[in-house]
Amino acid sequence: MRADRIWEIARKDMASVQRYRYVRLGLILMPLIFAVFIPLVLIYPVVAGEEAPKDNELPPFARPGMPSKEAMVAGLIDMATLMFMVIPAAIPSTIASYTLVGEKVNRQLEPLLATPTTDLELLMGKCMGAFIPTMLTTVASFVVFILVVDFLTLPLFGHMILPNLLSAVVLLVYAPLISLLSISWCVFISSKVTDIRAAVQLGALGVLPLMAFYVLFVGGILSLESLTLVAFALVLISASAGLFALGKVTFQREKILTRWT
Amino acid sequence: MIRLERLTKEFDGLTAVDGLTFEVEEGEIFGLLGPNGAGKTTTVRMLCCLIKPTAGTAFVGGLDVRKDAIEIREMCGLLPEAPGLYGELSAYRNLEFYAKLYGVPRSKREENIKKLLKMLDLWDRKDDPVGTFSKGMQQKIAIARSMVHEPRVLFLDEPTAAISPEAAKVVRDFILELKHEGCTIFLCTHNLDEAERLCDRVAILNSRLIAVGSPSELEKSLGLGKTEVHLERVSEEIVRAVEKLDGVRDVEVLGNKLLVGVRDPDEVNPLIVETVVGHGGRVRYVTRTPHALEETYLKLVREGESG
Repeated sequence: MRADRIWEIARKDMASVQRYRYVRLGLILMPLIFAVFIPLVLIYPVVAGEEAPKDNELPPFARPGMPSKEAMVAGLIDMATLMFMVIPAAIPSTIASYTLVGEKVNRQLEPLLATPTTDLELLMGKCMGAFIPTMLTTVASFVVFILVVDFLTLPLFGHMILPNLLSAVVLLVYAPLISLLSISWCVFISSKVTDIRAAVQLGALGVLPLMAFYVLFVGGILSLESLTLVAFALVLISASAGLFALGKVTFQREKILTRWT
Repeated sequence: MIRLERLTKEFDGLTAVDGLTFEVEEGEIFGLLGPNGAGKTTTVRMLCCLIKPTAGTAFVGGLDVRKDAIEIREMCGLLPEAPGLYGELSAYRNLEFYAKLYGVPRSKREENIKKLLKMLDLWDRKDDPVGTFSKGMQQKIAIARSMVHEPRVLFLDEPTAAISPEAAKVVRDFILELKHEGCTIFLCTHNLDEAERLCDRVAILNSRLIAVGSPSELEKSLGLGKTEVHLERVSEEIVRAVEKLDGVRDVEVLGNKLLVGVRDPDEVNPLIVETVVGHGGRVRYVTRTPHALEETYLKLVREGESG
């Protein structure tokens, strides 16, 4: 595998997708929503509220072992942190749809396939072209999120509550795996559809299992213990590896030219 | 340079290319002709190692398409039917991207891109996004892209389809220039005039190989050739004398022009001129009927279809 070829394909894809307004919009709006809007709407009203919730009124996700107001705010921060998983799930579906289905529709794949690159180099290049902007956006958003949350909650806790273990796990383990999962899913989708918007919409279905996971936490069915976090990481690793293998089988020259509808 | 040995491709039980066997010499322009769905693009895709043959094989530059895909792709350039350029990127960046994928070293890369863009008269537009270019200009960039790594073999699939006559002429001249530089060119086309003008040899294909040879050889083998003799004045005496010549199939008079059906123009044309002059005719000029390949092609394809 030649890294220079993979990087060149990724670099070209990153330059190409910038022209799509839909992609640019996603790269700007998502961080705004998750890093600024959610803390302001979800966390700030509780921090600023004069009355603390009663112990028996606390939701299942509230952090145990704290006074009720702090427990409520810390629980909300955990939920907002978990919501960040939507960014690495949603952004690649937009980028990969444009670089795969877009290139298929515009008949740009045949000359690319005629180059002396291997199928795996092409696939890796395409994946990296979606992965890098996704991770850059996720990390940048997370930094802003941490600053906003700490700024809002410093008077309440008296110390910076973020970053913590959960945020590190979400950013360093879950986000890359979810991104890879979403990209691999999009590679598979790309072989089935000829419309970019349909690909984006089907790609967004990749977010659904994460939403289920999120609901289980909010509902208190799962708790944010180390074992649960490790188990979820293992599920993500297995799913990413499985879908990447499926993407590898799907992304073969002959299939792309003769089977991709 | 290219050798096909019973090359076959089937898709879901349907035979797209059936047992092709022929050779293409180094440095020649070879035309692949055939109706829609005849298997031209499938053949090119197999030769460029984009798809694998179901049976048989082919050798490009001595390498086997079944085993040496990467090496073959390194030595070949492909212009597919659609240019497939990145409209948002500049002409220079489009070529640079492909040059890098073909592993062209930096210094050579810049030199090749500059040379090609200058040859195609697009150097001044090198920084403009190709999405703003006309179809003809885009086709030129696509041809430059297929040449950016100086391939030994160039596969061109309908290179002048859907572009203006002016742009088509530039493309044809460019193809001839590449031939003079020693490049082997494999040309798929529907344009029989173009094939006749450019190709040293052609193969006529309709899933199976129907015929292969130079346009004049094919024409001769079918005895379809016609010679036009432009005279100052046509007389009955001249027409009768020409009709009696050996090797003359028929004679038609169109104004001051004789349209003579001949089996072997090389043999018969000098006799026709001698006869005309001997009977008091004044010859202005003699030429082969245009569209001879078209007639040959249509006859061969019809024969091929009727089995």
